[in-house]
Amino acid sequence: MTPAPSAPRTSDTATGTGPGTGTGTDTGTDTGTDLYTLAAPWADELNRDIDEWDARAEFPWDKWKAVQRSGLLTVPFEPRYGGRGAGLTDTMRALEGFGRTCRDAGLGFSASTQIVSVGVPLQAFGSEELKSRFLPGIVAGDLVTAHAITERDNGSDALNISTTAVRDGDDYVIDGGKMFITNAPIADLFLLYVRTGAPGPFGLSVFLVERDTPGLRVGEPLDKMGLRTSPLSEVTFEGLRVPAARRIGQEGAGFLILDHVMKREILFSFSLTLGEMEHRLERVVQFAKSRRQFGEPIGSFQGVAHRIADMKIAVETARKWLTDTGAKVAAGQDASLDVAATKTVVSEANKRTALDAVQIFGGQGYLTATGIERDVRNAVGGTIYSGTSEIQRNRIASLLGL
Amino acid sequence: MTSLAEEIRGYVVAEFLDGEDTADLTADFDLITNGVVDSLGVVRIVSHLSRTYSIPVDDIPLVPDNFRSIGAMSAFVEDATKAAA
Repeated sequence: MTPAPSAPRTSDTATGTGPGTGTGTDTGTDTGTDLYTLAAPWADELNRDIDEWDARAEFPWDKWKAVQRSGLLTVPFEPRYGGRGAGLTDTMRALEGFGRTCRDAGLGFSASTQIVSVGVPLQAFGSEELKSRFLPGIVAGDLVTAHAITERDNGSDALNISTTAVRDGDDYVIDGGKMFITNAPIADLFLLYVRTGAPGPFGLSVFLVERDTPGLRVGEPLDKMGLRTSPLSEVTFEGLRVPAARRIGQEGAGFLILDHVMKREILFSFSLTLGEMEHRLERVVQFAKSRRQFGEPIGSFQGVAHRIADMKIAVETARKWLTDTGAKVAAGQDASLDVAATKTVVSEANKRTALDAVQIFGGQGYLTATGIERDVRNAVGGTIYSGTSEIQRNRIASLLGL
Repeated sequence: MTSLAEEIRGYVVAEFLDGEDTADLTADFDLITNGVVDSLGVVRIVSHLSRTYSIPVDDIPLVPDNFRSIGAMSAFVEDATKAAA
């Protein structure tokens, strides 16, 4: 499955305003609009027929247009490329709001991947030529992006990947393969993390590659438990010839780019998760007040009330970690331990509160029609992607000198 | 050690050797071979040096020998900051 994605997309709306705003200021540096409510005018479109899309495990291209129109994809990028020029914490706020509004966690995950996979590192480390050529399309959402880090045999050991790039004149020739690549089936652009030197941190380099480049092959979408509307697949490279000018940063700088990207990938995608948890809590509180058993609202029973109180504590703990860590990363402070802890806290809280919601909704929560069980399936992935909970704890232990 | 090397030594001790005996930590002590700094540690050191001494990441020569010892790190930081002045 190599042909470029042919699904319909529009370029005339990416920086537009929502139907309810009409301000036309999205292309400037003005971030006065509350980024948390960016997607709110598009809620109906984003949340239409979610069960059907989830069951089909299909990427919702029409909803992608709503994502484009909302301006979400433009938030962290410089105005000269069509972006809003917002900082890291403002981008997190926008994604939190998107997670609160959009019930399709797979779509949100693909949107977060779109922002962070190529656009963010290209803006930070890319040549002016590459930025001018590709960023406008990425920011608009017309060029869908993916980054290829994980390999079949190197899931969590990113610094020792085996895909190689060998210098050949003005080009590099890339051979190998990547696994579990989010957005790959729909992506136009890939950022490849490959080995250009000896194993270890200094042997990693990064290349921007277009989908139709000979030697790049995208596999069939892989069916999965949750986030089913966010497609992922394998990507393989055989004699993939890439000009040296497509390298992002200097040779050997891949580990620095990876560090920059992974911090933001975690902060952005788990800000989405925070928004989803906020919505879940509101829904559960509402249900506990209205659902009656034994003549009383179930929220009046201590067993239910305490479970909901714990959900509230989980949401606010997640918010505090995200807020504190986001501020540290934005300030350029060493936040390695904080990022690992934040990822663990938020992903595990999401899984736990999703299960709590099923329990509180009882039989209704077990039905697919209420969407509560879908939240559980979606939440499981969060403890696996971007470094499993086990890897995060290893990292924290290592930083403690253990 | 120069004052710059002492500064870098202070960072290495605080971040990687807190509470350890650092009597052997001379300017040419091999941090990588002796297991003081691993791959993730190198990432943190590069970020720290870039931020603290205002060296663009692209100007930091990303070869292992530049991060092998405090002396090596202070040498390239000195070169980079002189070149920028």
